[in-house]
Amino acid sequence: MADEHDVKSSRHQESPPDPSRRRFLKGVGIAGAGAAIADHLAQTAEAEATAARAEAAKLPTAGPLELALDVNGRRRAVSVEPRTTLLNALRNHLEPAVTGPKLVCDQGTCGACTVLLDGKPVYSCLVLAADAAGKKVTTVEGLGTPEQPNAVQAAFVEQDALMCGFCTPGFVTTVTAYLKKNPNPTLAEVREACKGNFCRCGTYPRVFEAALAAAKGTVSDK
Amino acid sequence: MQQQSPAKKKKKIKVPRVVNGVDTLVEIEVDDDGSVAWGPNDKHALLNHRLPRVDGHVKVSGAAEYTHDRRPPGMLYGRVLRSPHAHARVLKVDASAARGIPGVKAVVASTDDPARKELVVLFAGQPVAAVAAETPEIAEDALRAIRVDYEVLPHLVRAEDSVKEGAPKVFADPKEPNVEPRDKRGDASKVAEALKGADVVVEAEYRTPIIHHSSLETHGNVVDYRGGEEATVYASTQGTFTIPGDAAQELGLKESAVRAVVEHMGGGFGSKFGIGVEGMLACQLSKQAKAPVHLMLTRKDEFLLAGNRSGSWQKFKAGATKDGTLVALHAVQYRLGGLGDGSQAGQPYIYAAANAYREGYSIHTHEDASRAMRAPGHPQASFAVESLMDELAYKLGMDAVEFRKKNLKDAVYHRQLDRGAREIGWGRRNKTPGAGAGPLKRGMGCGIGTWGGGGNDECKVDVTVARDGSVSVAVGTQDLGTGTRTYTRAIVAEELGLQIKDVAERIGDSRLGSANSSGGSTTAASLAPSVKDAAVKARLAVAERLSPLLGGAKPEEITFSNGGVSGGGKTLSWRQACAALPAAGVTGHGVWQTSLAGRGVHGVCFAEVEVDVETGRVRPIKMVHVQDIGLPLNRLAVESQMNGGMIQSLGMALWEGRVMDAKLGLQLNPGFGDYKLPGALEMPELVPLIDDEDTREAVIGVGEPSIIPAVGAVANAVHNACGVRVRELPITPDKILMGLLSERRGA
Amino acid sequence: MKAFEWVSPASVEEAVSLLKSAPASKDVDEAARPLAGGQDLLTTMKDYLTRPVRVVNLKGIRGLDRVEGDGKKGLRLGALVTLAQVEEHAGIRRDFPGLAEAAHSVATQQIRNLGTVGGNLCQRPRCWYYRLEEAVCIKKGGSECFAATGENKYNAIFGGGPSWIVHPSDLAPMLVALGASVNVSGPDGRRAIPLEKFFTLPSEGSIRRENVLKNDELITEVTVPASPFAARSTYLKFKERESLDFALSSVAAAVELGPDKRVRQARIVLGGVAPVPWRVPKAEEFLKGRALDAESLAGAARLALEGAEPLSQNAYKIPLTQTLVRRALAKAGGVSA
Repeated sequence: MADEHDVKSSRHQESPPDPSRRRFLKGVGIAGAGAAIADHLAQTAEAEATAARAEAAKLPTAGPLELALDVNGRRRAVSVEPRTTLLNALRNHLEPAVTGPKLVCDQGTCGACTVLLDGKPVYSCLVLAADAAGKKVTTVEGLGTPEQPNAVQAAFVEQDALMCGFCTPGFVTTVTAYLKKNPNPTLAEVREACKGNFCRCGTYPRVFEAALAAAKGTVSDK
Repeated sequence: MQQQSPAKKKKKIKVPRVVNGVDTLVEIEVDDDGSVAWGPNDKHALLNHRLPRVDGHVKVSGAAEYTHDRRPPGMLYGRVLRSPHAHARVLKVDASAARGIPGVKAVVASTDDPARKELVVLFAGQPVAAVAAETPEIAEDALRAIRVDYEVLPHLVRAEDSVKEGAPKVFADPKEPNVEPRDKRGDASKVAEALKGADVVVEAEYRTPIIHHSSLETHGNVVDYRGGEEATVYASTQGTFTIPGDAAQELGLKESAVRAVVEHMGGGFGSKFGIGVEGMLACQLSKQAKAPVHLMLTRKDEFLLAGNRSGSWQKFKAGATKDGTLVALHAVQYRLGGLGDGSQAGQPYIYAAANAYREGYSIHTHEDASRAMRAPGHPQASFAVESLMDELAYKLGMDAVEFRKKNLKDAVYHRQLDRGAREIGWGRRNKTPGAGAGPLKRGMGCGIGTWGGGGNDECKVDVTVARDGSVSVAVGTQDLGTGTRTYTRAIVAEELGLQIKDVAERIGDSRLGSANSSGGSTTAASLAPSVKDAAVKARLAVAERLSPLLGGAKPEEITFSNGGVSGGGKTLSWRQACAALPAAGVTGHGVWQTSLAGRGVHGVCFAEVEVDVETGRVRPIKMVHVQDIGLPLNRLAVESQMNGGMIQSLGMALWEGRVMDAKLGLQLNPGFGDYKLPGALEMPELVPLIDDEDTREAVIGVGEPSIIPAVGAVANAVHNACGVRVRELPITPDKILMGLLSERRGA
Repeated sequence: MKAFEWVSPASVEEAVSLLKSAPASKDVDEAARPLAGGQDLLTTMKDYLTRPVRVVNLKGIRGLDRVEGDGKKGLRLGALVTLAQVEEHAGIRRDFPGLAEAAHSVATQQIRNLGTVGGNLCQRPRCWYYRLEEAVCIKKGGSECFAATGENKYNAIFGGGPSWIVHPSDLAPMLVALGASVNVSGPDGRRAIPLEKFFTLPSEGSIRRENVLKNDELITEVTVPASPFAARSTYLKFKERESLDFALSSVAAAVELGPDKRVRQARIVLGGVAPVPWRVPKAEEFLKGRALDAESLAGAARLALEGAEPLSQNAYKIPLTQTLVRRALAKAGGVSA
């Protein structure tokens, strides 16, 4: 049972150094995710420091990890444990917090936390923050603002595609990404694209209408 | 339920007036068709139109700040430790290890207070301790570092087990038996006699499982108390004013010193009143840590301890004569509300039976107490009686709609049935259930519901017109996603001849005027009349000021329209008009007006489904819901709510239901993976129809009525499609396939 | 989620070494785990079903996300190829349509954008007793399969005992049907395992595991041979809730038809009905030399479900799966069911 796990011993604990592992890691250079981080931030003055951090990340660490997240085009430094999900990092560890993506099920079964990772919709509750470093994270806040909504957001308002609104950021994000991929979808395609997002108030029919209206460009400019 | 029209009577109302430079309230008399009336439903400038919601843009952009999103400086994260046992005595809670984890700032345990009686947990999920820590991760570790010693006691999580002779007791108190009688009505012997004379008799049992509200925002609060005399509680609640008293008690403060804020909230559906156990724990943690505590339940917590719609188990014996008259109905109704009483509308619900008898009971189990959920007790009752009516109609060989009409006195149901039947194409339905070639069978069914609603006088609304022309309306009420903000603005804008954007609303704050909780579809019927009253008073106050500028026109005769104010042959622009106001502007204080609210509605739903008889899949094709609601404040929002009612009802019919393991006493599906809410691919074509033949010039809530009739409509459609009568919800493929098999065996 | 060590190696060898060198754990579910898409692993960690001491992130390893080959040469899928890649890959859609369908049938686009081929094959069971932390069932070190006598409508009708889980993977039945193998890397190097031998019944291998992988082994690649039936493959999945669900039952089918439209060979593998992808050789055999018509389809369906041993609540899976077998074969063979 859970309460038998010794929680304390595993927190903030570095694993003992392993000379053999250190040896073969040496000279491998920065690769994979490390390389992606380095590429992405190559222009910044901190590239070198980041590369060093990436190299350090090759050793098992219980954290905290010093990460640079790219959130809505802004570089956001954050210090989190390895177990911190991207959603948790956005909502609870960034200062100021990014709370558009909602924590609802925390199990990848509702879609309210949907964000775009390098342009593709994913459940941010099922991505570790450490794994999102070096990738472009776009949340609903990055798609438009109350004053300047994107076409999908404007269509949601116009078609009344929301009630309590708690699922809405996820839907808006999913639909926005989908229309980029398929600018002229059928109703069936919109439904298929939306099937990973759940709503309890019952806004689906109007979400579909909003998506189609946004695609057709029939949303009035605000 | 009879439609009730507002009483038309002559009224005196108080309006603000400046007498000798001092704002006072004076009483004025209003004509019969005077100011405080909505006027004909089809003559509104804004109301009864399609109004995009005013909080839409902040919600679609992620800018709306829900309780879950509040981050006051220095905030800690709270978590609740739940009992893993359905029935157990808590012997010891050892939180010392948890307290020792760096970053843990507060721990409260059920055993903290030595004076308190021993804690016996009565359901798996009952909180036994709580923690607050600097990060959610640390809070989780702290939770799991708490050791609780339990003495496990025998549990009951099945109604059938609870009613057994010699079953263990759910409650220790001998005054609280496992089965509690509720209501009893009618004469059973007369019914038995009448059944003898019936041409057809149906004996059947219907069951519905416990349903979860599944609000996307879980229950919870952010309690901002740092010591001292005052506190602010951000709450995800349906009742702004249910929070301060509860919180004050936990914090040891005066109720007036606690401010509740409900800027936006992510759904409640009847489950969010008061601060709840999670709120009490948050207060205790905040008090202990002297820091704000964010305690929002996890999804699993939400399933296990945040209430539910009670299940039902209803047994009928009913008979009808050849002409389609329901002559006798005997009903035994069990409400399955866990530790709670559950709820259920009494049978035969909306139908007239010459002889009817019912007896009701609550059967208790070791599950968290049921709470109100959108039309408490009605979908359960409607599903059962609508299934029963269908069974009788088929047995009689009578059209299911005609049979219903025969046993419904209220003409409104007749007209709604006709309209719904037209819209769905009732004439196309399967005459013989299961008929047709190929595996895909279409079927149609209908169901009916009723709701009371109505308003009350709890709302106090201020409408202020400032000298610069800005207009604000303030009241502490909450918007559950029903569009409260939008109609609140619209009422004021319409009254003052302005546009919606010209009015700002402030709601969701206990420092503002009082308001009722959103339960029973009473919000609109309570709030809208009060807003209207405030707006009228503000208008008259402005008019009073302008009278000298408008040729001495009487305030009542000065008109406000299209952004202008006219009287005495002159017209002023809004800005010009407001420039004549005193420096502080004028404020109309609105209270509830009986004449503006109504109660009593009817709703009819028709559903068409397709059943694949080789897999048991039910594909909803189309649903039509016809609903009378008096004056629809905002047609767009009303239709959205009706869609929502149909969809939640559809979920109850086909997918949703708590599943308990009897041996373990645990819920097996406390998450959105296995508790299956309908999603995008489950959606039929939805047709929400506002019954505009209801010309009552009165506001009536529409939240609850729209969830009632569809469950029965869908179940009846399934039967019409494939011939299988599933009497226990949800109607899943396994039940249909096994039903088809046993029919084939029977044939 | 329990805290863990995090590391992102750059090569398979490093990854294996990091899995092997992880601090010793008391329980098999505390062993170090490789992280690919994480779409299942993270859910098990959040519910403390697995509590790995170390998580070895594979996404820093280059080259594991490639799709190579085609219907003529056979297909090679890196373990990190996402389900979205599989469903959208033109060559796979053309030459291995059933595989693209199986990938598409998984969950939602959000999951498929991250979920990987390797991860899909290694996901843990979906039995709600297994998924419920408080229910310490035999899969989690307890002594009992609660589903055996409890709420078992989703559980196994084949191969059950002493646990009645069903394997949740959609790719697995299809890949077994297509004769795929997995390449596995471990401390002793690489080995290829036919997928059919990769999964283990509860009565065969460790009751705590669903396959032969050791704690320090990784799937690096899935290979699908060229076959005369790959182009006529299909995957039918039946979900209780269409939007998002695991299979109540699924069927992966592939057929090779002769010029006379008679079946030369057929592959039929059932999903969602057994603790492993459940191949039904008798039904495959039966179809040989027959034309796909109502009679032969019904015969194959009957044989496919022969020997099923339903529990108290899942007998419906028999007629359901029979329907899916008929429809899948008909679709694969291009005839009407």
